[in-house]
Amino acid sequence: MIYLFQLVNGIGLGMLYFLLAVGLSIIFGLLHFVNFAHGAFYLLGAYLVYDLTERGLNFWAALLVAPIIVAGLAALTESVLLRRIYHLPHTFHILVTVGLALMVQELVIILWGPVGGNVSTPGALSGVLILGDFIYPQYRLFVIGLTLVLAIGLWWLLEGTRLGAVVRAGSESIDMVSLLGIDIVRVNTAVFALGAGLAGLAGALAAPIRGVEPFMGVEALGIAFVVVVIGGMGSYTGALIAGLLVGIVQSIMTTLWPEGARLMIYLGMGLVILTMPRGLLGRA
Amino acid sequence: MRAAIMNRASLHFVLAALVAIALPLFMRSGTLASEVLIFAMAAAACNLLLGYTGLLSFGQGIFFGLGSYAAGLTLLHTSLPLGVALVLAAIAGAVVATGVGWLSIRRQGVYFVMLTLAFSQFFYFLAYTFKDITGGDNGLLNIPRPAIGPFSLGGSWAYYAFVAVLFLLVFAALQRVASSTFGRTLLAVRDNEERARAIGFPVRNFKITAFAISGAVTGLAGALHALLIGVAPLSNIEYHMSESILIMTIIGGTGNLFASVLGAGFYVIVSDLLSSIWPRWLLLLGGLLIVVALFMQKGLWGLLERLVEALPMGRKSSIKSSIESPIPPESEGRGI
Repeated sequence: MIYLFQLVNGIGLGMLYFLLAVGLSIIFGLLHFVNFAHGAFYLLGAYLVYDLTERGLNFWAALLVAPIIVAGLAALTESVLLRRIYHLPHTFHILVTVGLALMVQELVIILWGPVGGNVSTPGALSGVLILGDFIYPQYRLFVIGLTLVLAIGLWWLLEGTRLGAVVRAGSESIDMVSLLGIDIVRVNTAVFALGAGLAGLAGALAAPIRGVEPFMGVEALGIAFVVVVIGGMGSYTGALIAGLLVGIVQSIMTTLWPEGARLMIYLGMGLVILTMPRGLLGRA
Repeated sequence: MRAAIMNRASLHFVLAALVAIALPLFMRSGTLASEVLIFAMAAAACNLLLGYTGLLSFGQGIFFGLGSYAAGLTLLHTSLPLGVALVLAAIAGAVVATGVGWLSIRRQGVYFVMLTLAFSQFFYFLAYTFKDITGGDNGLLNIPRPAIGPFSLGGSWAYYAFVAVLFLLVFAALQRVASSTFGRTLLAVRDNEERARAIGFPVRNFKITAFAISGAVTGLAGALHALLIGVAPLSNIEYHMSESILIMTIIGGTGNLFASVLGAGFYVIVSDLLSSIWPRWLLLLGGLLIVVALFMQKGLWGLLERLVEALPMGRKSSIKSSIESPIPPESEGRGI
């Protein structure tokens, strides 16, 4: 029963990891841009929920507003700063986004202090679900449900809409897409904002589970990289499978060897690199 | 001609020696001065990968932290002399760097960078998990600083002198590596890896060797740092250590090894000044990083080069500097 509990935990965690990593993956696929500030968007999402609920805002409203603010900030950053450096080598992408991440982290400490805090689970979902022997917190089930819906919605957005077609075409050849008369500059901003918003949402959803602290952004960045390395960059399905894999491994290990749980996911990544250098579903 | 002189390795070594001599004259704290040179070693080692081989490694903190632990454990649990502890730290850095390099260079470009970052997280959690060995959050405490033969290293300036000698030895050694056939080949790998491979160079082995050398030097720097503060803290193996070493290297500039000394000096001294005034000075550093990426891509060294170019005397000679010709010995004095 404890393993079933941890399996469900792992699925929830894995879906959050998917949400976190898929944005990084899509942004790279379209813009060939390495975003080391991705963890900072996750951090901001979590802290916005923390701040808004502290101010008395309803959790559900905060959950809706926080990712939108993050996406807005990301769109602003993209159009003011990042757009100017796409043509530079990757090293400079990394430099600028590492600088951004550092600034966000320090701003968070200035605004909310270095200690962090807790976000209480919304009242309606603070109970547990009891099915025979199986007892499970309702909020975590809600996270699994919501992320599943989002995953399906995102899949539809990428595969079934015009924007998705442009994004997929842009991943192949961005010049061709802009020659066809599509305003690729706006598409870039939209995709960047979407990816950042998803990371913000992952942070917002994680806040009641793990609390908030200023260095959770770095940890999230490391995990997003592991998911993308295992799943293959630019692959939606890869991010989904790898996210779930990492989440489940981490959860099960929490029972077997609590101290080493996070160690295991990096070890797993090493094994994947050894056996499949391109990741599970990577293209290049 | 000035640019040609500015690129001379001998000038860089003289500048490094001047820094080592000047630090005690201008600084009140021997600890801070030692820290400058220790991080200068780490940044120069990072530069060997970034500037000379084109490998942006987020894993330098792994080797730095391991060096700290290796030296700390040796001195705490054995009665081996200091020199052996430092050699062991360098070996630990080199061995782990070989492994990390071997795995990471299986992927290129962005994936490579992400892998090095993920490895740095791995080693951080490794150190965090095995608290019995590393002391976990508290770090390894009370690391002794034994004397070297008749010389006691107890005083902070005595220790500085020891660090400065090692720094100059390491700097000269790295310069030898960079100017050797091996170093020249690394530049070829950086500029056009496919062509270097097509010519028949074993590119993989070259990259792994560069990693091993970088890891050895970084491990030594980490050991010296642990001896300096008497602790091997968990923060020496954290992501932020990798980040700091990388930032020093990039702020200094990646064109030559002395640029890394500039970068480390700037970072250590400015962080010491600002952190006492405003603990959140990293915010400014983040902004500075963006400015460097946008407007100062050659770093502080590039700035220095522009300053030298702009010096009033002999302005005409700077035009000739674009012609790559051997410098006649009598002109050497004028250019600086």
